[in-house]
Amino acid sequence: MSAKPHFFLFQCQYCLAASDDQHWVENDLPKNVKLIKTPCTGRISPMFVLNAFQSGADGVLISGCMPEKCHYIKGNLGARRQLDEFARLLAYLGMQPERVRFVWMNVSERGRIQQEVVDFEAQLAALGPSEKFAAISASGNAGGRYGQY
Amino acid sequence: MANIDALRQEVSRVLSEKIVDVVLGFEAGSLPTRNQPVFIHKAKESKRLVDNGFGSNNLAALLAQRPKDEKIGVICRGCESRAIRALTVEQQLNRENLYLIGVPCRGIIDWRALERAVDGEILAVAEDGEDLLVTLKDDEKKLARAEVLHSACRNCRQPDPVGTDVLIGELPAREGLAQRSPDVAAFLGKDADARYAIFSEEAERCIRCYACREACPMCYCTECFVDHITPRWSESMVSKGGTQAWHIIRAFHQTGRCVSCGACERACPMEIKMEYITDRLNEDMQDMYGFEVGANDSDQPPFAAFSLDDRNRFKE
Repeated sequence: MSAKPHFFLFQCQYCLAASDDQHWVENDLPKNVKLIKTPCTGRISPMFVLNAFQSGADGVLISGCMPEKCHYIKGNLGARRQLDEFARLLAYLGMQPERVRFVWMNVSERGRIQQEVVDFEAQLAALGPSEKFAAISASGNAGGRYGQY
Repeated sequence: MANIDALRQEVSRVLSEKIVDVVLGFEAGSLPTRNQPVFIHKAKESKRLVDNGFGSNNLAALLAQRPKDEKIGVICRGCESRAIRALTVEQQLNRENLYLIGVPCRGIIDWRALERAVDGEILAVAEDGEDLLVTLKDDEKKLARAEVLHSACRNCRQPDPVGTDVLIGELPAREGLAQRSPDVAAFLGKDADARYAIFSEEAERCIRCYACREACPMCYCTECFVDHITPRWSESMVSKGGTQAWHIIRAFHQTGRCVSCGACERACPMEIKMEYITDRLNEDMQDMYGFEVGANDSDQPPFAAFSLDDRNRFKE
């Protein structure tokens, strides 16, 4: 395993207003970051987050729109309530709370996602690899469909 | 403890006056430490009803399968009345078809704890005030009721039934009810590694029989996430990942919905602790959104609602 932390970026497809940011996320993400693009943060089930950790990810970065800026009007409000509480639950059960980070993008924040990815990677590198909740079974298939990360 | 004669009389009355078609309560089970749920259809059958501390099911869990237009009477304790309220808010039950017969509750006896507390086979158990008289093969033993109470009942915040149509017996004066679960506080007192060790030790004993799901009044989905094939949300095997995922997501789906009756723990053949997770989630919902399960007939659980007032919480 390389020293670089592996993590998932869950991204709402409307949260990056600048097309070159979206292009960067889709084409130029570092190899240790896996992109899961969703129509809205409301689509991100807490089970996605759990599956990410179970398949060996060191962290989860969730990027969505600011409140009132949701393309679907209120999807991010529901998501915020659920995902925030789910992160608290994982922390209650022993995970470092810094392993889940939310980024709520404003339309004007061009170029912020690149900085957030770099910051989150540095934060995860400081924490070291995540061992809790990782559950890669002998078949190599861990929780859900993502397979070995 | 409700007067059992008054209870039977009321059940006979509502059945013979055709206020309800059927009454749901407890009858004696095949062992002295076990009760089983019973549907009483005729007034003369009401003598089968019992009211002691061994009714470990939550009767509200049986209501979802009944025909929608059936008038049904339910003998309910605090947790059952709260579950019925929560199910009504979630539009799973029609309150107009229900006739709730409230009984005062003194907590459910953990039959496993009782069996561990005595040697040999239990032939009969009688309740005498705050004590239990346990008849053994050639001995009789007296135990304090509080010692063998189930942990969910020891931590119960609301033992009295709410929103009932009729109350049998008198509610005892309550004092010193814990407002916060001591189990959650004890769990939070440990460091993260110890918490994870406890959680994984508990979760990994799971044999995935889903008895907790079947016993739970709030688990009414026709298709559970663990039964999904495409997409398969979690490993379906008895493995570390599978059992942990089941316990995390099962508890998470109960956020702001769990009525803390402890039916899941009593149903579990492996004696896995589960309440310490759901109680914590409920306490979070109370702190953040001021929501309490079964507190009234209108509030939606926090995850079914949202508000723009949450916007301040978006600033990390």
